[in-house]
Amino acid sequence: MRRAVAAGTIGVVLAIPFLTTNQFLVHLGITVLMWTVLGTAWNLLGGYAGQVSFGHATFFGVGAYTMMILYLKLGLAPWYGMVLGGIVGALVSLPIGLICFRLRGPYFSLATLAVAEIVRLVALNWEALTSGPVGLLITTLPQVSVGSRSVNWESKVPFYYLVAILAVGAMLATYGFSRSRLGAYLLAIREDEDTAESIGIDTVRAKVTTLAFSAFLAGVAGGFYGMYFRYVDPDAVFPIALSVEMVFIAVVGGLATVAGPIIGAIFLVTVSELFRERFLVGHLIFYGLCMMLAIRYLPEGIWGGIRRAFTTYVAAKRS
Amino acid sequence: MVQSLVSGVLTGSLYAMIGVGLTVVFGVMRIINLAHGELVMLGMYGAFWGLTLWKLDPFVSILLWTPLMFLVGMLVYRFLLQAIIPGGELNTLLYTAGLSLLIANLALFVWTGDYRTIKLPYAMLPMRPFGIAVPIPLAIAFGLAILITGALYFFLTRTDLGRAIRATSQNPEAAALMGVAVDRISMITFGLGSALAGAAGVLLAPSLYLYPTVGEILISKCFVIVVLGGLGSVSGAIAGGVLLGLVESLGAVYVSVAYKDTIGFVIFLLVLLFRPSGLLGVAKS
Amino acid sequence: MSLLSVHDLSKDFGGLHAVSHLSFSVEGGEILGLIGPNGAGKTTVFNLITGFTSPTAGEIGLNGTRLVGLKPHAITQRGVARTFQIVKPFRKLSVRENVTLAAFMRLPARRDAEAEATRVLDQVGLSAKVESAAADLTLAEQKRLEIARALATRPHLLLLDEPMGGLNPTEVEDASALVMRIRDAGITVVLVEHVMRAIMRISDRVVVIHHGEKIADGSPDQVVRNPEVIAAYLGERVG
Repeated sequence: MRRAVAAGTIGVVLAIPFLTTNQFLVHLGITVLMWTVLGTAWNLLGGYAGQVSFGHATFFGVGAYTMMILYLKLGLAPWYGMVLGGIVGALVSLPIGLICFRLRGPYFSLATLAVAEIVRLVALNWEALTSGPVGLLITTLPQVSVGSRSVNWESKVPFYYLVAILAVGAMLATYGFSRSRLGAYLLAIREDEDTAESIGIDTVRAKVTTLAFSAFLAGVAGGFYGMYFRYVDPDAVFPIALSVEMVFIAVVGGLATVAGPIIGAIFLVTVSELFRERFLVGHLIFYGLCMMLAIRYLPEGIWGGIRRAFTTYVAAKRS
Repeated sequence: MVQSLVSGVLTGSLYAMIGVGLTVVFGVMRIINLAHGELVMLGMYGAFWGLTLWKLDPFVSILLWTPLMFLVGMLVYRFLLQAIIPGGELNTLLYTAGLSLLIANLALFVWTGDYRTIKLPYAMLPMRPFGIAVPIPLAIAFGLAILITGALYFFLTRTDLGRAIRATSQNPEAAALMGVAVDRISMITFGLGSALAGAAGVLLAPSLYLYPTVGEILISKCFVIVVLGGLGSVSGAIAGGVLLGLVESLGAVYVSVAYKDTIGFVIFLLVLLFRPSGLLGVAKS
Repeated sequence: MSLLSVHDLSKDFGGLHAVSHLSFSVEGGEILGLIGPNGAGKTTVFNLITGFTSPTAGEIGLNGTRLVGLKPHAITQRGVARTFQIVKPFRKLSVRENVTLAAFMRLPARRDAEAEATRVLDQVGLSAKVESAAADLTLAEQKRLEIARALATRPHLLLLDEPMGGLNPTEVEDASALVMRIRDAGITVVLVEHVMRAIMRISDRVVVIHHGEKIADGSPDQVVRNPEVIAAYLGERVG
């Protein structure tokens, strides 16, 4: 039953560009899907392992800059750059993890925040590598063909499909992850790290491995961001606000669930875009408010709440 | 060199005040209030509007805003935080993150993102004792910060309420057994922390650019201070604040203006890793 | 060679000598009781053996390999498992999941780990509660869950920290029987307990600790008659 729903949803998601020619909606879809990848990435570490990172923008930004620099300075095609962005993100996460995982709970969160800020400031000031505050700009994307047709990079559709594949891939990865031994170990670590150690779980290795996967996904999303928006600067890809939004999407959507991040992304992005249409600024008011409401009334997030309501409904029907 | 030291200490004293507010709240309730920066921001805007609308000098309107922020803090605790705290440290952290975003963006919405400044007629030129340039508002702020911190110290050590707060900070269960109403103390402490933040904001307003998201930078610096000094330690926060002020000031001159903010964070990480209890205080759970 | 040997072990916390030049050994196949007045340092000894804290001085050896300096999970992997004085189940997870997590260490495939968990839970008598959330169990059941979890790591040496604390007499009987069954299955047991009747009855040997030092080491009968031991306990009560 669940597989049918999942397959159906994937079908709908992939069909959207055919259902509408409204470019704004397609852009919205792209944004939602990109945030889904980010939310999914964060969820691996934050939801399953319970390690709340306020610095995930680091990996997003590293991925974006890797892709940009490799394309603009070495001519490496952006899609390869995107994947390499993920790999570089994962590599960067290793020392960061080894440093930050020595700390627990809120101290870990603060440390990730500090690391993110350091990376942002380095990107801002290391002009030789990153062009500093000026940022990096892509004017044209390379010629490429899928099947017999050449890809039209001026249209949003190819980007939509690219990010949709990333999002679906991320969610499938989360699903596999949640059923693996590492996934189970993470839930134990989230509950009680010391007890987890006492039953033979190498907690440091589990956390570092998870962070690497998480950073990989975030880095790939960063590479995509560079391709789609074509402009990257330190304040666009490294700000604290971006890290915090990732947290919100995962928390409001539903921690430690496969579908949580996409629900959270749909909900938050859609409403904030509408808000932005009418009021221009302040859509983050909504993010803050939803976060507060979720923690107070729906700690399992929207998706968790839906699932709970569903099981209660099913149980009530049976009796 | 002396100029840098003096600037560093002056700014540092204000950082210290902000840090004390955060650390006192942590000490009693074990929560890290991410919205603390926004409380400072509200104080700053209070000073601005007090001057713009009612022609009140910030150093006068502080008498209005401080008790008001105290009240706001107590209300925030009672009606928002009290229900969340039992859910755990991380939940509370996330909740205050949401609150921070809410307040900052409401301010952005209502007051726009335009940079504001406070220009005081008597503050146009700096004083020059011994040839060192000292901006007048900063000097006055420094004096008042010392006064307020001194009053706080007196309060915490000499009054019954202050002692109750310190007792709860050290051991909530023991304090409860001895008849301390922990919820009430928490509420008062949060009010106190907010009042300190608001007051620091008012004092800082003439010396900084005001914009609604200034809380973000302030809270980052605040963490550095509070962790340096040891979470929960008032004297540690004071020392940490002054230290950060000095590090930034000297760093701007001797390392590079660009990387001066980085220094604070690097030190922060080093302290978290090698001396997690800071110069004094508690840390790793 | 002894299974576990503790040699000249010391642990200081600031000025407090929690454990002081402690030496004892545990022979394979025995049940060793570790007793002493409150605050004598018994849980600290467990924490030292399992790597949760590191000694100020001294050595701990398991079948000749050094345990000092290893992280807790590595020590568990070498075959030393423990339970905690205050039970620490993974409260939100089911009873079966709690034990499966421990079984994963030796059996990486979920199906095998779950099968092992079911087997172990049957051994301790919790088969009826496999699906319940750990938080919903009674204290006696949670203590058995702790033991099941430790057993699922297939230890050679099991350290039990007050497994009978807070249990009523019937539950104490059941727990004692369980401990003996575990030993009969080939696992060496070190048992910290305050419930004297139980520990004296099931232990093969008893080590008495007072103020972090060993003051007696022998059969339960010998230890009970040892004047220093009597003084240690009586002294506590009078003083």
